[in-house]
Amino acid sequence: MSVKELLWVEKYRPRTLSEVVNQREVVERLKLFVKEKNIPHLLFAGPPGTGKTTVAHALARELYGENYIQHLLELNASDERGIDTIRNKVKEFARSRTAPGIPFKIVLLDESDNMTADAQQALRRLMELYTASTRFILIANYPSKIIDPLQSRCAFFRFVALSREDVVGRLKYIAELENVEYEEEALDAIYDISEGDMRKAINVLQAAASLGKVTVNSVYRAVGLARPREVREMLELALAGKFEEARKALRKLMIEYGLSGEDVVKQMHREVFSSELKIPEEHRVLIADYIGEIHFRITEGSDDDIQLSALLAWLSLLGKRARR
Amino acid sequence: MKELPWIVKHRPKRVDEVVDQEEAKREIGLWLEAWLKGSPPREKGLLLYGPPGVGKTSLVEAFVKERDLELLELNASDSRRREELERIVGVAAARRPLRKRLMVILMDEVDGIDPRADEGGIEFLASVLERTVNPIIMTANDPWKESLRPLRERSKLVAFRELTEAQVVTLLQSICEKERLKCDKEALGLIARRNRGDARAAINDLQAVAERGEVRLELVEKLVKGREKSLDIWRTLSELFYAEEGWRAKRAVTQSEEDYESLMAWINDNIPKKYKDPEDLYRAYDALARASLMLSRAKATGEWSFLRYVFDLMGPGVALAKKGEVSKERFSFPERIRAMAETKSMREVREELAALLAKRLLTSKATVKTEVLPYLFVIFRQGSPEAAAKLTLGYPFSSEMLKLLAGARASEIAALAEKLRGTKGEGRREEKRERRGLDKFLM
Repeated sequence: MSVKELLWVEKYRPRTLSEVVNQREVVERLKLFVKEKNIPHLLFAGPPGTGKTTVAHALARELYGENYIQHLLELNASDERGIDTIRNKVKEFARSRTAPGIPFKIVLLDESDNMTADAQQALRRLMELYTASTRFILIANYPSKIIDPLQSRCAFFRFVALSREDVVGRLKYIAELENVEYEEEALDAIYDISEGDMRKAINVLQAAASLGKVTVNSVYRAVGLARPREVREMLELALAGKFEEARKALRKLMIEYGLSGEDVVKQMHREVFSSELKIPEEHRVLIADYIGEIHFRITEGSDDDIQLSALLAWLSLLGKRARR
Repeated sequence: MKELPWIVKHRPKRVDEVVDQEEAKREIGLWLEAWLKGSPPREKGLLLYGPPGVGKTSLVEAFVKERDLELLELNASDSRRREELERIVGVAAARRPLRKRLMVILMDEVDGIDPRADEGGIEFLASVLERTVNPIIMTANDPWKESLRPLRERSKLVAFRELTEAQVVTLLQSICEKERLKCDKEALGLIARRNRGDARAAINDLQAVAERGEVRLELVEKLVKGREKSLDIWRTLSELFYAEEGWRAKRAVTQSEEDYESLMAWINDNIPKKYKDPEDLYRAYDALARASLMLSRAKATGEWSFLRYVFDLMGPGVALAKKGEVSKERFSFPERIRAMAETKSMREVREELAALLAKRLLTSKATVKTEVLPYLFVIFRQGSPEAAAKLTLGYPFSSEMLKLLAGARASEIAALAEKLRGTKGEGRREEKRERRGLDKFLM
């Protein structure tokens, strides 16, 4: 056994299209493109952890061979600074040589639904400009956030959340190879938590395995430890009327843990219906509603610290009124 | 002949004549003591910050007089471009003290140094702070300005507190006695109130009133209107939070010299200081959040006429949210800006780690931060040390990254990783590159 270890999401990532455990329909259609050695622009859409990026890489490997990476430009819309950087990188890349036998290179644009409508328009022009030498693969969680003119230029592939059998089967496969002791029910629990997100399922398995035998208990323990305590603490402090302490927790999450306002909103929302949060039942819906409003404002570009502070102030008031 | 301005005439001559600021007195005293003993402190500059008129400059001058030091003073009216500073400060900073008489270099209002008009001034001053043989003291109202970062990083920061109304009244009374002036206590109270915490402005007003006759309430009401000119941040905040009428609150935000985005950050942090009742707190935040929303709409649409609603909401909206009392707690600097500065290196390490893993896991840094790092933390902090050590060999983590991941267990895991590597000699050459980070822990 090697002393080096990788994250299992990297170690067990499928390398070829045939290794992909689900998305059979998608895979069959893509294999036809490989046979013809030609692809149109593609749009891969579906929830996180369903294999979109993995499939894109596998496709490129089958087209170009093991050194496919020199013919692939990977960009992530969330990490690049605006459409100008993307334009410059694509321009530079389009100038480089193509592989023998395949007259185009691939630009992989991940999380493209995080681009503004304007940036997507610019992207559309970019695709037209370099259409002779490049193909784009756009990856998105929400296809509805991709503007129509872009959608119409791409062959659309829908990725679906993985089934219980597929996730549990893969976890078993990994556990056997890694000599991990496990209970069958624990793998079911992991599936329930992952909601069909394979990346999450595998990360939970690895974290639970590092704690010892993988049991239902150790799975929940690993998940509980991974979730920042500060989120629930923040909610509880706010509801108890301790606004300033709640905001301290908020800033710890955003500044020390590096979470964005949107991440914090999503994690708060997860806590709202948790039985561990002791609040009157009818408040859960009120809170979810308000969190939704704040979430919307943040996606509109409003200052997240101010919006979340307003949410905490509202919770303080709700808590005070409930105590009366 | 016109009389000497009272703020000059009645300037404190001894340290204990300066009102309040006990903590600042102690810190400045200790810092100067080190210089006088011939062992300059690690930070050769002091940055005194706080609202205007609370005694920053006066206290330095009092120290200079009391300890019989020399003083070189440069204030905002002098040009502070690089060439000027080189000529004056550069020379003074390099001059060995004569007859052991230390020279204090006082740079007033460094937040007023204009990055354009006074080009290169801040950078030069920062370089002087590294090599000066004389103590350098700077003052600022707002030390958190981005342009002041080079000075902030090379100086010891000393906070000055806003004066209370009672403290200002006491000070005015003592001046009235020295001037043998009949002063009505209520009148002094009103002068103090209209100049919230700014002793200099209050003394100026007192003199202006005294020149017209007895200091009585009616006269003060007629003459002292509060200042119309642009408002610095401290005055903006007090005008805003104490405003009872909408127009007053609106004037506070529109006449503020702080730009509206930073002003929002200041208001954001000071609402909970001034409003303690959850009802008031909620109403104020509701207004501020809507101001911020309106601003994002103005930006998104390019319709800058929306700004008027931004001002309505962040000014009157916040001011009129109060039904209860305004708390006496002092205004404070935006905590978020301070925290961002303090945690900068840690956040950089986190970004680097996220970038490294994003590349290997074919995903974005954002996804790594929310979906991968939390599980890595579990493995490195609670999981078996062996699992963590093996991952450490699998990725080129720097020692800072390992420290971030494992916290107190970092050195244990680094040592274990090294031991594991020793037992199996495979792939040594390719691992060489990755070792550098770990070695730091083992030396």
